[in-house]
Amino acid sequence: MISRRKPTINPDTAFSPVAGVSLEQFLGELGHRFDFSEERPAYIDRTYLDSFDWRLFEGGGTLCFERESHARRLVWTPHDSRQGRVMLGRVNKPPRFGWDYPPGAMRSTIGPLLEMRALLPRIDLVTRVRTLRLLDDERKTVVRLRVEESRPRRAERDDDELNQEQPPVAVRIVTLPVRGYDDELADLRKWLYDSDRVTPRTPCLLEEAINATGGRVADYSSKLDFEFDPDMPAAEAVREIHRFLLGVMEQNLFGVREDIDSEFLHDFRVAIRRTRSALTQVKGVLPASATDHFKERFAWLGQVTGPTRDMHVYLLGFDDYRDSLPRQYQGDLEPLRAFLIAHQKLEHGQLVERLASPEFEELIRQWRDFLARTDLGARSKHGDKPLIEVASKRIREMAQRVFEEGDAIDDRSPPEDLHELRKSCKKLRYLMEFFQSIYPANKIGGPIREIKRLLDNLGDYQDLEVQAGKLRHFAHQMVEEGATPADTLLAMGMLVDGLLRRQQQKRGEFSERYARFADTENRQRFQALFGNRGGK
Amino acid sequence: MNIVAVYNIKGGVGKTSAAVNIAHLAAQDGFRVLLWDLDPQAASTYYFRVKPRIRGGGKKMIRGKLDLDDQIKGTDYENLDLLPADFSYRKMDVALGDIKKPALQLLKLLRPLSYEFDLVVLDCPPSISLVSENIFHAASALLVPTIPTTLSIRTYQQLLKFLKENKLDRIDVLPFFSMADRRKSMHVEIMRQLPKKYRNFMDAWIPYASDVERMGLHREPVTAFAPNAIAARAYQRLWNEVAERLSLQPM
Ligand SMILES: Nc1ncnc2c1ncn2[C@@H]1O[C@H](COP(=O)(O)OP(=O)(O)O)[C@@H](O)[C@H]1O
Ligand SMILES: [Mg+2]
Repeated sequence: MISRRKPTINPDTAFSPVAGVSLEQFLGELGHRFDFSEERPAYIDRTYLDSFDWRLFEGGGTLCFERESHARRLVWTPHDSRQGRVMLGRVNKPPRFGWDYPPGAMRSTIGPLLEMRALLPRIDLVTRVRTLRLLDDERKTVVRLRVEESRPRRAERDDDELNQEQPPVAVRIVTLPVRGYDDELADLRKWLYDSDRVTPRTPCLLEEAINATGGRVADYSSKLDFEFDPDMPAAEAVREIHRFLLGVMEQNLFGVREDIDSEFLHDFRVAIRRTRSALTQVKGVLPASATDHFKERFAWLGQVTGPTRDMHVYLLGFDDYRDSLPRQYQGDLEPLRAFLIAHQKLEHGQLVERLASPEFEELIRQWRDFLARTDLGARSKHGDKPLIEVASKRIREMAQRVFEEGDAIDDRSPPEDLHELRKSCKKLRYLMEFFQSIYPANKIGGPIREIKRLLDNLGDYQDLEVQAGKLRHFAHQMVEEGATPADTLLAMGMLVDGLLRRQQQKRGEFSERYARFADTENRQRFQALFGNRGGK
Repeated sequence: MNIVAVYNIKGGVGKTSAAVNIAHLAAQDGFRVLLWDLDPQAASTYYFRVKPRIRGGGKKMIRGKLDLDDQIKGTDYENLDLLPADFSYRKMDVALGDIKKPALQLLKLLRPLSYEFDLVVLDCPPSISLVSENIFHAASALLVPTIPTTLSIRTYQQLLKFLKENKLDRIDVLPFFSMADRRKSMHVEIMRQLPKKYRNFMDAWIPYASDVERMGLHREPVTAFAPNAIAARAYQRLWNEVAERLSLQPM
């Protein structure tokens, strides 16, 4: 159960002096109207935390680690000020992962938003706070008014001169309600709203501060979201796709190297896979000599990043593995966890070496140079053709392949046939996602959703098999590496059994999923969307 | 929600001082704290400059006829709210006596607030009565300020006996030395001996210090107006130990 304080009235709206009005002027006027005492100014150090992909901000709030004299607290502030804030006190160092938080409102608020992602410091602010307390006739505080002057602090620099250079964030005047004194709060807020000296402003300090430094919040996304013109040269569209994917790789590189959380490598690898897919699937748009080279190089990159990802997958899934066993055997699995952690470290160490190698640097440099070339399309067969023509043809061909392979599968088909189908589906999905902006949004959404549904099934089917095989392999490896208790091996055997059972279940669900994907309506949708247009 | 009562059968031992400062420190640490002033003397209400209710709503409130929620007042400190004393608490025993299960009434009244506060600190009146029995039922821990004198040891033993006889020994009893004067040899001696006998004695102790008395002039917790004073630091240690012993966490 989440506990939240009931706010009295929209308590979080901040105000700022309007242009041309100084803070002192405003405070002077306030002093005429209200009896208040001012506390000694205090300083709050604030570090806003969020995942690399801004899951908290996108999920509806901000998380701030505040240090004020000796108090250290984490504060969750929802964007919607009608919801209450959530606080966690006595925090010396904010835990990085949701699961490291003590059970309670903070964890149940941020945990589901973050999932497997780690919290990173997004911006450091130092805020000078003047607190004005509105007093009643006993000189008791009935409302608090805080004037906050914030300045971003350069990360990792405590140098005051440098911090002085940082642009200040506009002064914010915040009212803090005192319970049981609603009338006094309402009076003050009415006065603030009526005053032409100050104006209400967005309550999100994080956003304002980031904007002040010239940055932007929520500036990362690995989602494919292009705006293409159907008639633009195909090579230009492909260039843009590749540039975006290269950008994703570059942005995630530091997190991969530092192993901040598993999602960096995941996004990195998805970008590699999409790059390879675009290289192979959008045929004849880039010079063939170059694409062959890069195909081979990105295949290499995909390969060297694989083992670490595998370990991440097993570690992320470990709790589920454990929980799938009968309670009395769950403890037996712990040596597997230790094995996974140790091997994850090893694999990651190797990965870091590879990413520091001349081969990798060369690849990125060559690729960037290649994408900057002006004559991309001219030196290929279809590069200068209108995008819609090239895209529709490729999607049509791939869809045809998917339907052919799928139609041929029956209950006795070997697993390899399904795995092949999965590959083709993935290619088709990437193609549709790359180019979806040139098709009517209300029409292409359906086929993409359908293919994702089918891919979920095929993916599970293959992954469960791979996982079962890998676990068997780990068991052998553990025995080789030293004394592994027999109970652990038995527990792993149970896991393998469970995985294979689930795999069979997925196999059972396939025909229904495929039938839905390949029904007449969906086939017609493909035909209508990607059928010949002006072409052959 | 954790409920901690600051309790002693005797008056003038530092209950209110401890309750006020601990509530303040907990709030600073991000706990959402409610301090309930159960003593008709209204000392903690006074320290927080809140006007005590005089019109006898207390009787209604105790009987559950008046919403507790509406009586709560914010203090000068963020996260710290107060349920002010009511002069008619003098008749609290009588009010409670009219209720069916009188010993559980306090807990029943507090329950609706459990998602709003992480910590409720009860500043208790002295003596053993129906009110204190209520307190024992509601609180998960009793913080017992104990002046290191032979007389206080007897009162402490009296308390333990009462808890035992009334099958209330599930409650965590956390005695600590209060108003301790290291210049007095009796204080020093008792502070050395007693924790050996009662293992649950807290390490932190509150020295006799005029800063605590000055709370009456400032009408503020000493941890607020002189956070670095010896007494304030002693309360800080006491709070840290309480939080640790009871594994308190703000939600
Ligand atoms: N540690 C201390 N040092 C000096 N005076 C104290 C100390 N603790 C309490 N006092 C004073 O003793 C008196 C009674 O304290 P109080 O906290 O109100 O006790 P209680 O609530 O047990 O009656 C008050 O005047 C208070 O200022
Ligand atoms: Mg008292």
